[in-house]
Amino acid sequence: MNDYAIELNGVHKSYRFFNLQNIALRLQRGTIMGLIGPNGAGKSTTIRILMGLVHQDRGEVCVLGHHMPEEQIAAKWDIGFASDDMRLYDSMTLGWHINFMKSIYQSWDDAYAQLLLKRFGLRAEQKIKGISHGQRVKAALLLVFARRPKLLVLDEPTTGLDPVARHEILRELTAVMASEGRSVLFSSHNTQDVEQISDQITFIDRGRIIDSMDKEVYLDRWRRLRLEVPTGIELPTLPGVIGLQQTGRLAVAISNAFESHLPNAYENSGARVHAVENMTLEEIFVANVEHSREEVKA
Amino acid sequence: MKTNVMMQLILKDWRLNSRMIFLLTLAGASALALLMIGGKAILIGTVFFFVAMIFCACLLPMQNIVNEIKKQTIPFIMSLPVSSAQYGAAKLLSTAGMFLISWLALLGAGLYMIVGRHTLPQGVIPMGMILMGFPFIGFCLVTGAALAGESEGWATAALAITNSSYWLAWYLLLTYVPSLNKGWSSPVPVWTPAVFKVLGAEFAIVFLILGLTMYIQSRKRSFI
Repeated sequence: MNDYAIELNGVHKSYRFFNLQNIALRLQRGTIMGLIGPNGAGKSTTIRILMGLVHQDRGEVCVLGHHMPEEQIAAKWDIGFASDDMRLYDSMTLGWHINFMKSIYQSWDDAYAQLLLKRFGLRAEQKIKGISHGQRVKAALLLVFARRPKLLVLDEPTTGLDPVARHEILRELTAVMASEGRSVLFSSHNTQDVEQISDQITFIDRGRIIDSMDKEVYLDRWRRLRLEVPTGIELPTLPGVIGLQQTGRLAVAISNAFESHLPNAYENSGARVHAVENMTLEEIFVANVEHSREEVKA
Repeated sequence: MKTNVMMQLILKDWRLNSRMIFLLTLAGASALALLMIGGKAILIGTVFFFVAMIFCACLLPMQNIVNEIKKQTIPFIMSLPVSSAQYGAAKLLSTAGMFLISWLALLGAGLYMIVGRHTLPQGVIPMGMILMGFPFIGFCLVTGAALAGESEGWATAALAITNSSYWLAWYLLLTYVPSLNKGWSSPVPVWTPAVFKVLGAEFAIVFLILGLTMYIQSRKRSFI
């Protein structure tokens, strides 16, 4: 059995005003990957390609050992997919939707569905048109979770939710992961959500993957150094420093490959290191995107 | 054993639209009931009957296909283990099935009114069959445009074209196939070669539209 739940190699997709270029992505089985990118970065297109809903122009896509889009039917038996633009049938009740899913999936877990109904504060007899956006999202996720799929693909599931609803959904996602062998690909532009639950992080911008690695490695490797630069001293270009902003005597250096000797290197050049700070995932994301865009320009 | 997802999709569509099928069939049947009154009510009933059929041909694809696009329920359905070709086939079968229920029920009721209750001479049956083919073709055009075009715009355009073409088609038929004008008042149906040719052409158009729709659907590289 392949070690990866998702494997994309050299995937290209061209549209008139947008290109997805050379996407390479690997999600190990049993892990949660957060796919972070600004609006229009290519998150949804990437997800639609790996669901077989959009055919790539070039490249290989393998999901749960199935080649996409050719084997999408076999793959989709084990994939639970939900996206923020997904809607249920307005005129029907949640119970109707549950029965519909039960009629298709023999893996449907009725007891778990009942538990989720309680946890999410939903009622089966409610018509979809009568419930709030947050409840609709929860209803869609209930229909996905209770199928017990091997792979969950969630495209911006927490968009537009209030903090309480977001927390409930993230808590449930973490609980889903407690069950062995389940993998999750979770796209969002909300870095807080991704930081909370992901093992791996992938940044995507303007149709390109700009970085992909373990969350802990990210948080460990990225640092911000606050420096004081005496007059007449010029800061050197050091390896691992991707951004340097100086205003008068104060400078901020951003490193994406922090090593313990980096502060010493600045001290040796005549600068004073005031602080070495950890960065949040959001700060790392923004710095990474800006650096990548500068590289592309250059 | 895995479930037949296509069958479940068809059943789902039927459950979602069962009330509408019932109401449309009821409307057509009520129009036919007017024939029983006789006199001018026959004309009114016949017009209402065809209005009900045309309404059925428009409303079903709009409700069953276009609404799914407009209300964004397609991503939910496409998350199920189906391909876009299977989705298209299921939609085509469910919509055509629903239409045929009303169409066949009304056709049967119409024939009964003519043959069983003698409300009209049986000579109108061949022309009636030809006229019943018009909404069937219209239905296929709107369904094909909605499915293949994946947009309300295409479906509405097809709707506008078909609805404004019924009378034109009727006029052209009577002008270029004058033999169809004969035998209306005959006590028995007159099945001339011209009638069979027109009916054959109608069936060919139906199969061509549906085949083309499925071909386009199976060739799609981006779905939703």
